[in-house]
Amino acid sequence: MTALIRVENLGKRYGKVTAVQNLNLDVRAGTVFGFVGENGAGKTTTLSILATLMLPSSGRAYINGCEVTTEPALVRRQIGFLPDEFGVYNDLSVREYLAFYGTAYGVDGHLLERRSTELLNLVNLEERAEDVVNSLSRGMKQRLGLARSLMHDPPVLILDEPASGLDPRSRIEMREIIKGLRGRGKTIMISSHILPELADMCDEIGIIQRGTLVACAAVEVMNARVTGKRHLLLEVLTGGARLAYMLGHLGDVAEVLKVEESRVEFIFSGSEAEQVELIRELALSGFQMKSFQELGGSLEDLFLRLTADGDAGRSAVVKMA
Amino acid sequence: MRADLLLLRWRDPLAAKCVGGGENHLTNKWFNPLLRKELRQRMRSGRTILALSLYLLSIGVVAFVYMYVNVQGQTLILQPARTAELFTFLSYLQLALVSFVTPGIASGVISGERERQTLSVLLTTPLSPVTIIFTKFISSISFLLLLIVMTLPLYSIVFLFGGVQPSQVMAVFGMQVITLGAIAGISIFFSTLLRRTGWSTVFSYATVALLFLGLAVFGYLFDSIGLHNPEESLWQRLAGICFALDPIYVQAGIESSLGLLSPVINQSLVASVFSVVSAHSLMKPAAWLFFFMIYIASGVLLLLVSAWRLRPGGFTALRKRIVRWIAQ
Repeated sequence: MTALIRVENLGKRYGKVTAVQNLNLDVRAGTVFGFVGENGAGKTTTLSILATLMLPSSGRAYINGCEVTTEPALVRRQIGFLPDEFGVYNDLSVREYLAFYGTAYGVDGHLLERRSTELLNLVNLEERAEDVVNSLSRGMKQRLGLARSLMHDPPVLILDEPASGLDPRSRIEMREIIKGLRGRGKTIMISSHILPELADMCDEIGIIQRGTLVACAAVEVMNARVTGKRHLLLEVLTGGARLAYMLGHLGDVAEVLKVEESRVEFIFSGSEAEQVELIRELALSGFQMKSFQELGGSLEDLFLRLTADGDAGRSAVVKMA
Repeated sequence: MRADLLLLRWRDPLAAKCVGGGENHLTNKWFNPLLRKELRQRMRSGRTILALSLYLLSIGVVAFVYMYVNVQGQTLILQPARTAELFTFLSYLQLALVSFVTPGIASGVISGERERQTLSVLLTTPLSPVTIIFTKFISSISFLLLLIVMTLPLYSIVFLFGGVQPSQVMAVFGMQVITLGAIAGISIFFSTLLRRTGWSTVFSYATVALLFLGLAVFGYLFDSIGLHNPEESLWQRLAGICFALDPIYVQAGIESSLGLLSPVINQSLVASVFSVVSAHSLMKPAAWLFFFMIYIASGVLLLLVSAWRLRPGGFTALRKRIVRWIAQ
């Protein structure tokens, strides 16, 4: 599969400060790439360069084969960009807002009307089409921004923290919309701090720290190869303390994180087969298990470890990548 | 990779329009989507209606009071000199008001987008920086032109009394349009250069003050130095340039040449302006031409620089393109 987004040795300096250095990554067509990093790690700078809003100090970046610095006009027509903080024209109606951006991209007439209606349906704003943008909630404005970025039906979407500041319901709605867009064949590069959500919707994850890509791989590969550990939650009717004691003496349990009367959280370092065996053994030991689930925090753990361990953690991941 | 683009073009009619399809939708640059949006937003606002009404009301009230004071008890007597005087008064009032309103409207057009965080999204559309800047300029200017056109019925009162011809009105209006165009260009330049609308407005008003009052002060200064200096002609030439770039004196020059401003009008300020106009030959078309050329050229230049400034690293992108072109 061809890479629709390609970044080669990308670097960006602000005076003496290096925001991004020697960044290399490929995002394959039709996949969702999650871009993770702390504040100031270089995510927004990278995405701004890809969106032609900023020039790199070194290296090159391509969108569908078009170089962002020398062919910005072509690049702009192939991307839909949603910045981390963006404003809207509050005194326009929702439909007028979309129509403005549509016509700016050359979409007009029946196509404009049809696409506006389709996108308003996609982001669940069809009933607010004639309302003034100012009357929308933050979550609605965020979804409207996403619809706006799709008005010219670009093959590539660049979304910078699309769920930041949203309430849980809006985040879930946004996540479902993005999943739907992946289903439509869009290539999406998305940055976020909410790692479990990224793990849920991304095919690949790249972790950036101090401007350097410290890890880049498929979500499963990352979890399995780097950590080899799972964050598990076990719920029992009673006997949480006894269960924790027992788990603490098992070789495959790396750490017991949290113990309550009816639930225990722990890190399991064994394989999937060993995990199945553990469940069987616990059942045989007489624990009345209500539920057993793998929490989505494993990627978060990985992220924290990579960004906290400094050079040691980084070198381990670079080898993996 | 161009094959990919061709495929994209074939697959999606929109892409056919977009990818490499030029700017068909922007061929009419004077009425692009951005201009439509700008005009829609501006004219929809209640504040706009209020501003237009207040402007018209203030000029109307002043004109009425001026006429009442000057023609009381003599309304049936035809006095062309008085009508010319009224026109001069109105035209200066308009010049002052328009010069005051223009920075207020134009100094926030780009910095306002930046503050509302809508600029980055606008810059990722196919609208070029030149299109964005010139559209913002036209939308600001069109509102100001509306202000001027709105006052035309008021000026028709002047025609009722005679003494002023429509061509004279047009000549003065033309000069004012060029002045406000240059002020709008300066304001948009500051709006692009500075991040905050507040600062942009301050710098714009400061520049307007420099053009209207600063140049006059410098002109008088150079004139007075010239009186006590052997190189009198050089100082006088400098004074002449200052006065020829000051809209107050240029308008006086035009009105004087049209016979609207004369020493007959017995007012010390007007007499003082008239003496400068005649001393520096500002009633000659060459002086106006100099003013028009400088104002139009600086307005256009500032708008072009604004367009370069708008796209981050505009000059760097050009330099990189040239370097790569040479390397190839």
